[in-house]
Amino acid sequence: MTSRSWGWPLGVIPLIAVVAAWEITARAGVYSVALFPTPAQTANVFIKDWSLLLRHTEASLARVVVGVGIAFVTAVPLGLLIGRYKTLDRIMDWTIQIFRCFPGIALIPLAIMFFGIGDRPAIILIWLAAFWPLLISTIFGVKNVERTLLSVARAASAPDLLVLRDILLPSALPSILTGFRLAAGAGWLTVVTAEMIAVRSGLGYMILYAQMTFRPDQIVAGIIIIGAFGLLFDQLIRLLRNYFCRWQEGLVLEA
Amino acid sequence: MSFINLENITKTYERRAESVLALDNVSFAAELGEFVCLLGVSGCGKSTLLKILAGLESPSGGTATVSGEPLAGPHRDASVVFQEHGLFPWMTVRKNVSFNLKARGVPARDRADIVDKQIETVGLRGFEEKYPHELSGGMRQRVGIARALTTNPKLLLMDEPFGALDAQTRTIMQDELLRVWAFYRSTIVFVTHGIEEAVYLADRIVVMTPRPGRIRRVINVDLPRPRDPTTPQFNEVVRMVLGEIHDDITRLIRA
Repeated sequence: MTSRSWGWPLGVIPLIAVVAAWEITARAGVYSVALFPTPAQTANVFIKDWSLLLRHTEASLARVVVGVGIAFVTAVPLGLLIGRYKTLDRIMDWTIQIFRCFPGIALIPLAIMFFGIGDRPAIILIWLAAFWPLLISTIFGVKNVERTLLSVARAASAPDLLVLRDILLPSALPSILTGFRLAAGAGWLTVVTAEMIAVRSGLGYMILYAQMTFRPDQIVAGIIIIGAFGLLFDQLIRLLRNYFCRWQEGLVLEA
Repeated sequence: MSFINLENITKTYERRAESVLALDNVSFAAELGEFVCLLGVSGCGKSTLLKILAGLESPSGGTATVSGEPLAGPHRDASVVFQEHGLFPWMTVRKNVSFNLKARGVPARDRADIVDKQIETVGLRGFEEKYPHELSGGMRQRVGIARALTTNPKLLLMDEPFGALDAQTRTIMQDELLRVWAFYRSTIVFVTHGIEEAVYLADRIVVMTPRPGRIRRVINVDLPRPRDPTTPQFNEVVRMVLGEIHDDITRLIRA
């Protein structure tokens, strides 16, 4: 496990291949470099326009962190309760299945009507996008708790709060963190979409603006940043999981 | 009045349209300090009877009392050792052993001494910070027993605790259990389907018969301790018990 996580970063191989193919096709004149920049032109954006990139990246990151953060502190406790109490589950099930299917983009007009242009509609949309995968994976994790462990708690007359905190939460944690990975991905996708419509800053806004000013190099640079942060989030959550679920080592194929 | 009293206990389960009679008019009593084995083939209701004593299930009819008090939920003088140990995989040995005290609201500083003492009793010193999956099957079951002993139970309820162990480890664990019992002198109700195990451990064997679960016969084992399974006297008791459940075993095989 450690040798796999910290060994040679084999994941860069396809990335190097893509960049190489990009460079070769650009030199061979397969496409117009006026419409799609070369790797060198794109790299140049990172050097010359770094303050622009930094400003918009910061704006997007802040929204994602806040939106996904709010989703985490609302979805996980609610998921623990729904997973634990059957009646609550029966009350909520249909609603969850309906609401989770609402595409965030369809809610943008409403969000703007209610909250105007700015951070609030974007954060609310991110919260909604991240909320459902977290809620569903928390409920799933709680329901998967080993039956015997609940009998142990009952035989010991353990109070409900202890059961939620010391049994259901840790038992569901691997599943919650999987949901967290999905939620971070969903939040990141949503922020870019929301910024194209509902805000005047952030990577989504930057990309749309670059289209109007005809700067394809900035568009590609923006896309690369989005992808890079997607990877970063994923790796960070994986580290969290390795730390908090270390009791799983040796129990499952991959923690 | 005896320490444990079961009077005319019946238990029916509703499964879809039909109702299954799991226990039919079961009565028996046990004194403080007695070692009782519930023995029978699968489906004889021995585990159900144990769950009723543990307060995890309520009988459909009849009365159950422990220490003269009718059971309504888990009794505070009782502790359960579960089949397959029932340990929390995310807790260290120390935290697992602490759980029952924590469930009773015993503050952390008062728990420490008791927990250390019980870990010592079952011979797990030096393993306090290990996780369950790092332990052998026998050691896990020791953790389960240590946890059950922390509340100083007058009644120890054990549901096929050594069923998953290999023959060698089981023999060792049986001797360990007898040692602990000799020290604490609590009442033990021990569910098993192993005839030799029952004869080796019990003061009295309650032989049960399936469909519906009934008591077929109660056998007093008067052999002096420590018992030697290779003696003719031991084998005579084994043969007598086997005679009681032989029909059930053949019926189970043919079914």
